[in-house]
Amino acid sequence: MDMIASCNPTDLARLGQVRPRHESTKGAYDQHLNMILGDVEEIVTTVEIDDETYEEIVRTTRRTVPFLFVRGDGVILVSPPLRTA
Amino acid sequence: MSSSIGLESLVDQTISVITNDGRNIVGVLKGFDQATNIILDESHERVYSTKEGVQQLVLGLYIIRGDNISVVGELDEELDSNLNLSELRAHPLKPVIH
Amino acid sequence: MLFFSYFKELVGKQVTVELKNDLAITGKLHSVDQYLNIKLENTRVVDEEKYPHMMSVRNCFIRGSVVRYVQLPPDGVDIEILHDATRREARGG
Repeated sequence: MDMIASCNPTDLARLGQVRPRHESTKGAYDQHLNMILGDVEEIVTTVEIDDETYEEIVRTTRRTVPFLFVRGDGVILVSPPLRTA
Repeated sequence: MSSSIGLESLVDQTISVITNDGRNIVGVLKGFDQATNIILDESHERVYSTKEGVQQLVLGLYIIRGDNISVVGELDEELDSNLNLSELRAHPLKPVIH
Repeated sequence: MLFFSYFKELVGKQVTVELKNDLAITGKLHSVDQYLNIKLENTRVVDEEKYPHMMSVRNCFIRGSVVRYVQLPPDGVDIEILHDATRREARGG
């Protein structure tokens, strides 16, 4: 397991991703997809609809955490890192 | 199999419960079981809003189903008596979304 | 079982539990059970201004099902041991 991206849907308008920032970071997981990740970056994207203009307002916030346990019931996707370059 | 961590130490003490729909209920813990179902006596709800201070609604004897419980906190009576609830304003807690 | 065993090793350490209602609670890990219910001691809510709802609570029980994340102490994670345990767990051992 090189690197994991996982998502936690808390409502339809919020998407969270957590992923180790380096490929070498090893993780741990179980059959529920509970996992521990190291050197994590969380990216939360929220979408709001403006009341008057009905425009979509997309906001992204990022933060880093050294070690994070992620509860499996929120995980909807686990994927390997993109092989760019 | 190992046993679950219980709430024995909190029986007959005042506790503050946060439910999955974001309510805050304070009362005396009278009983609980493996599924975190709890029996609360002399309970009241603390209703938070930004428009006015905390309102207290008397509920009395309540059973709360464990599935709907987020947090059970031991209420420190001294800390609690120092709170000025009528001046405390905050948004209600968000509901838990699974 | 892997994470239950792991959290048992972590008892006594400082952790921050983030809930699915966006509340984040920091405290000393007191105990954990097989549902990953968590008891914390000497707790503080991370943003007390915004969430004053638990200002008079110093010990609490958090239901495992409402946990989103647990921020772990850097010295409480032995990645090599966890990695081996993950392999054993995946094999069904």
